[in-house]
Amino acid sequence: MPELARIISALNQFANFFGRALANAVAPLPGWLSATVIGVLTGVVMLVGYKYTSNQRAIKRVRDQMKANMLSLKLFKDNMRSVFGSQLGLVGGAGKLLLHSLLPMVVMFIPITLAMTQLSLWYQMRPLQVGETAVVSLQLRDDTPTPLPAVKLDGGDFAEIVTGPVRIDSTKEVTWEIVARTTGLHELQFDVNGELVTKSLSIGDRYLRVSLLRPTLKSWVDVVLNPAEQPFAVDSAVQSIAITYPERDSWTSGTDNWVIYWLVVSMAAAFALKSVFNVNL
Amino acid sequence: MNRPRATTNRRRFLQGSTLAGAAGLTGLSGCSYWSGSNSRVSRAAGKKVIIIGIDGMDPRLCSQMMSEGLLPNMAKLRATGGFSELGTSVPPQSPVAWANFINGNGPGTHGIFDFIHRHPHEQCAPFYSAAETVPGEGAWEVGDYQLQLDFWPFNHKPSETVLRRQGVPFWDYLDASGIPTTFYDLPSNYPPSPSQYGHHRCICGMGTPDMAGSYGTYQYFAENGPPQPIDEGGGRRTRIKFDEETGQGELIGPENGLLKVAKPMTIPFKVHRDLQSNAVAIDLPTQRLVLKPGQWSPWIRLNFEMTTPAFLPDKEVSGICRILVQEVAPIFRMYVSPINVDPRAAVVQLSEPESFIGDVANHLGPFYTTGFKEDHKARTNGVFNDDEFVRQATNVMEERLALFDYAVQDYEDGLLFFYFSSSDLQSHMFWWNSDKPHPIRSTTEAQKWHGYIRRLYQRLDQVVGDIYDRYGSQATIIVMSDHGFSEFGRQFNLNSWLRWYGYLGPPECTSLFKDVDWSQTAAYGLGINGLYINLKGRERDGIIEPGEQKEALIQELIFGLTQLQDEDGRQVVRNVYRSDQVYSGDATELAPDLIVGYARGYRASWATCLGDLTDDVLLDNDQAWSADHCADALEVPGILFSNRKITDAQPSLVDLAPSILKEFGLKTPATMSGKVVLG
Repeated sequence: MPELARIISALNQFANFFGRALANAVAPLPGWLSATVIGVLTGVVMLVGYKYTSNQRAIKRVRDQMKANMLSLKLFKDNMRSVFGSQLGLVGGAGKLLLHSLLPMVVMFIPITLAMTQLSLWYQMRPLQVGETAVVSLQLRDDTPTPLPAVKLDGGDFAEIVTGPVRIDSTKEVTWEIVARTTGLHELQFDVNGELVTKSLSIGDRYLRVSLLRPTLKSWVDVVLNPAEQPFAVDSAVQSIAITYPERDSWTSGTDNWVIYWLVVSMAAAFALKSVFNVNL
Repeated sequence: MNRPRATTNRRRFLQGSTLAGAAGLTGLSGCSYWSGSNSRVSRAAGKKVIIIGIDGMDPRLCSQMMSEGLLPNMAKLRATGGFSELGTSVPPQSPVAWANFINGNGPGTHGIFDFIHRHPHEQCAPFYSAAETVPGEGAWEVGDYQLQLDFWPFNHKPSETVLRRQGVPFWDYLDASGIPTTFYDLPSNYPPSPSQYGHHRCICGMGTPDMAGSYGTYQYFAENGPPQPIDEGGGRRTRIKFDEETGQGELIGPENGLLKVAKPMTIPFKVHRDLQSNAVAIDLPTQRLVLKPGQWSPWIRLNFEMTTPAFLPDKEVSGICRILVQEVAPIFRMYVSPINVDPRAAVVQLSEPESFIGDVANHLGPFYTTGFKEDHKARTNGVFNDDEFVRQATNVMEERLALFDYAVQDYEDGLLFFYFSSSDLQSHMFWWNSDKPHPIRSTTEAQKWHGYIRRLYQRLDQVVGDIYDRYGSQATIIVMSDHGFSEFGRQFNLNSWLRWYGYLGPPECTSLFKDVDWSQTAAYGLGINGLYINLKGRERDGIIEPGEQKEALIQELIFGLTQLQDEDGRQVVRNVYRSDQVYSGDATELAPDLIVGYARGYRASWATCLGDLTDDVLLDNDQAWSADHCADALEVPGILFSNRKITDAQPSLVDLAPSILKEFGLKTPATMSGKVVLG
């Protein structure tokens, strides 16, 4: 669905603008601190978003009813009819709260998804360090004739080709091993039968945006998950370029763990600050 | 009812804060104790003892190179303190020798007499001497699976690997005295013996298995491999076929022990090759490697999926390996290292405390965990050529040096022990300090590779210099080896010799495990140096009566073996030791009756070690493994360097433990036979 992918790509460009600004602001901080700050900020944004997209009055009414049912349970615990009635009321209240949160969830789904994919650029993997190697794989169109055309990779003075290219006719891929030489956010250049394409390469021992894949518009899922670079056109000879980066090792801001930490911190911040922002959850 | 006041007065505050402080301190020290951290309070009082264990370093070569000025740091150590030959164990095999070092006493106390032992009640059934896997008892059978549930009401007993070394290791005394000890790659200590007081840390060395449960099984894939995979000693050889320049195969992992009929778990892979660029891409389920001939991959994590009964979730066990593409075309060849236990997620206990090895790996990344790290089997079986073996051994050495650096950085006080295996396993392949022709190399080649061993000694000398520069005046430094080295040009088949003289029958028998008639067998050899009497009442099918008949047989065998001469008149056996004379202690049950000490240049034949008999009693050694130390103990002493004066003229391995204890102010315990040899 290239049309959907195009819309997502446009949204990604918008998110990239904020993502880069946020990244620049927190770049000097240690990972645990930036993850915590971002988690708290996200919690506040979600809280405010929830406030203005939900029916706060209705939620307050439901909460009051639930409090009344709790009190009833405590005061009339010898009256079975009252107890069952209160319990039913509590279950019903929980269901109503869920219904009231559906609209905010729908409204916030897209911004939260965009925020998560931006954060994944930051925390999911770490940049290569100087001297570290990585595998670069370029995927050609399915209808590319074999033997595959000559593909040249230019790593400039920041990356050196160690091995390759290895042309894989069966999967229409060309792959190399490169070694990182100088720090920075660089662009690898590929010449595929005269068509010049690029792929970002992050090298350094500090936090940098790391793009694992430059996707194609043919796959909207890849476009969602890899927002940093402009997707390849549907008719491009190149369908994707991937780089393997090392995993980031941290309980708070490392591979896979960052999502859990971010969710926990943002939820905790939202609950802690709900009275400050006068929000009924 | 009045509400209790929420305020507090100064007295209550002081009481509360004191209690909280005490609780906090107790909690902290408790946590630290149970976590096995070395931040625990050390009672070493700043005392430092550092031991560099260099397996197989030879005193004669050291002396020669020091006199040539090639080992300046060892020479400096000799000038500061002393240098001596170090008496080794009988027999001079590494598991025996290191156990002597550990107990400060001989094999009669630790019960390790050879690499290989046998169960006498099963008539010659062999097992690795330092550790044994004991099968479990009971299981709950579900379909194709059997589950061992070690809780009530099932109370099944899972199989377990047990350390066979007996007696009290010397670090137990230090542990009890609150003195921290840290060992990196200690041989003869797998599974690791526990630390009772939490002051002892150890990563297991020689004897630690790979994921297959062996002591290192590589996998070799080649276009000219055998049509059906074959297991060769220490490796597996498989043919790989290419279709449109893509080949596929399977990496064989550990067995799934939950299955009634255990089957190995496997990981599929594909190899895509580009003939034009002479390189390959190897696709594993979770990653891709791009390699050219001669290029080693980094450590790769392999996650093997362990199937379980339907009502249980499947499990994953992870191992690590490295891959070497040897040739892309015309004949594709690829070596896969033994699949090592991943130190970051060890599936078996590789260290004491269990978390220690993971902590180290989190700092350094993955590293070899099998006991035998240099893949000598790949060289012996012709999978590696000499250069490839050296490259692999250099990879190991580089890892060891990084680990050594970590060990020194992490060290505060107490005892630090660090072990290097490189000098042993590479000497087995490249040592040739003799005028006689080398078994498989020209004289020029033999000299070239012996020169490589000399350079290795120089590299290890730099390690000694590094330690001396850092700690020379603040620590007791001991550099030691368990044994030296000797050429191995001729091999002796002990069982063939016994058969020739009628001690083992029938005359046409070819293997201890196939066609030996125990009713015609008075004695048999097993392992590298062991000779056992087929004793009635001890061996299942014993025929020799204890007492006079046994004594007479022993005298005959000693006489016959010590008189044995090669075609050129050289003596083959220098000494034959009686275990009842050289061993004392409570752990002599599995000891051989006689220990054969070979003269320089000789060793038990390859066939003997495997229980096979050959037509000839004496043969040329035709293997790349052209040097050894399983000779007579007097032929291959180890080394002892120290920056403390060596006070005894003939120090021995068993003397080191008492000397180390003395450095920390502890007396020699009654469990040790060694004496203090450092002033």
